[in-house]
Amino acid sequence: MARRRKSERLSAVAGIWAETGPTSRFLIGTLIVAAIGLIGLTPKTLFDTELVWPYASLVAAIGWGRSGLGFRPMVVLILFGLAQDVIVYAPLGCFGFINLAAFGASSLIARSFDRERNPLISTVAPVVLYAVSFVLVWLFASFSGNHLVQLSPLVNVFVVTYILHILTAPVFDLGRRVGPLTGSMS
Amino acid sequence: MARLRGKRLKARPVRRYALIVALVMLFAVLLAQTSPRLRAWIDPARTVAADQLASSARPGLWDRISGKAARDERIRELEAEVRELTRYRSVAISMAARLEAYEDMLNVMGEPPVRGVTARITSETNGPFREAILVNAGTLQGVQAGAYAENEGGLVGRVVQIGERSSRVLLVADFNSRVPVMGEASGMRAILFGDRDDLGTLTDLPERGSFILGERVLTSGEGGIFPRGIVVGEVVERGGALRVEFGMNRGRGGFVRLMPSMQIPPPEEYPAPDATDAEDDTGIEAGDGAPVDETAETATSEALPDAGAPGGG
Repeated sequence: MARRRKSERLSAVAGIWAETGPTSRFLIGTLIVAAIGLIGLTPKTLFDTELVWPYASLVAAIGWGRSGLGFRPMVVLILFGLAQDVIVYAPLGCFGFINLAAFGASSLIARSFDRERNPLISTVAPVVLYAVSFVLVWLFASFSGNHLVQLSPLVNVFVVTYILHILTAPVFDLGRRVGPLTGSMS
Repeated sequence: MARLRGKRLKARPVRRYALIVALVMLFAVLLAQTSPRLRAWIDPARTVAADQLASSARPGLWDRISGKAARDERIRELEAEVRELTRYRSVAISMAARLEAYEDMLNVMGEPPVRGVTARITSETNGPFREAILVNAGTLQGVQAGAYAENEGGLVGRVVQIGERSSRVLLVADFNSRVPVMGEASGMRAILFGDRDDLGTLTDLPERGSFILGERVLTSGEGGIFPRGIVVGEVVERGGALRVEFGMNRGRGGFVRLMPSMQIPPPEEYPAPDATDAEDDTGIEAGDGAPVDETAETATSEALPDAGAPGGG
């Protein structure tokens, strides 16, 4: 009985979310990224273990990219990138570039493949996109610091960011479908 | 339908071009920052942004309206004053008289009182770019340019950016940090910098002799930024090489103390009057050598009222 009530509640939430328009979805996604970023500013230790904080804006970039290119996500991703640059002491434009590159690549993949009929693509594509993005972070950091920075912290952030992606990917779906119209007349 | 599709197809390339233009522009901004001159323009703006973004010391709007911010500010001021006074009361009473006597006997320029600001770490950057921390004290709290930070474990780093309410401290564990150090027991001198494995690497070692395993590594005071004798870490052996385990990692209280750096002015800043000039001037006026010494001494003591003090407050 309780399980049934819970599933009813979940389906109600899913129903509301399905009716939510792209602008509202975009605003909610922006707020979530901002909230995760702001919490990430505080020192985070749990039982003397330093917590790894995910790059939420990258999750948003890849999520929003699936719904095609748009001016609003681009502007917000650049702003999030600049904030990240300031916070992590990276050269200005570094994270903006990475966010936009991930956004563009995600959009390109969404347009080129029929993801709904190729689950492999929808599973592998984010992993590849995150990997490429973190390689870019590593390259920029190495060029900026004039030495090869260690990979292990980035791998940790990569894993945590991918976990965040798994948990929050539907939130960053703007509800627009792009891609090849398979089976339809061109 | 066809019209709609045509409109969509026309709109898409504009977005694509905008994305490409944005990517190119961001990359250009990245490249432009390799120029030190442009970087000098960007860094102050970045400091202000970091100050606004990450400083938890900034009071909120409600706190300002309700007057809580002003009260908190006053409480902080009074607490700082009490701390300062307590410190000085115990030290000053017992030591001042003796110190004065010793200084008179030895003709020593007195050490300045050590005054620092204790600040809370508001954010840490231990990502791939720089090992730095942001602390909630800036120029309003009396932090000065070039100040160094220490915690209960030892030296933490050096202030590289100061805002009104926050400062960014470059950790000694950063690759770009350079600290002149010496071994406590061996007395060996070297330059220490952070490496990728959270241990310090010693470079510019003398040709003969080496650091002793397990000895403490202290700042040598060379370079005029860190005073001599602050604990930096301990010599350990990793992979056949002597490395330094940073002492600051032992103190994880979340607070650092920002101390003013040693500011010894270079001789050019306060030049001593040239002996020959002094002789000429006084020789014309007085005609003998005795006033020369007196004039020179007076000039030196006037020119360097605080300069002999190696701390600068």
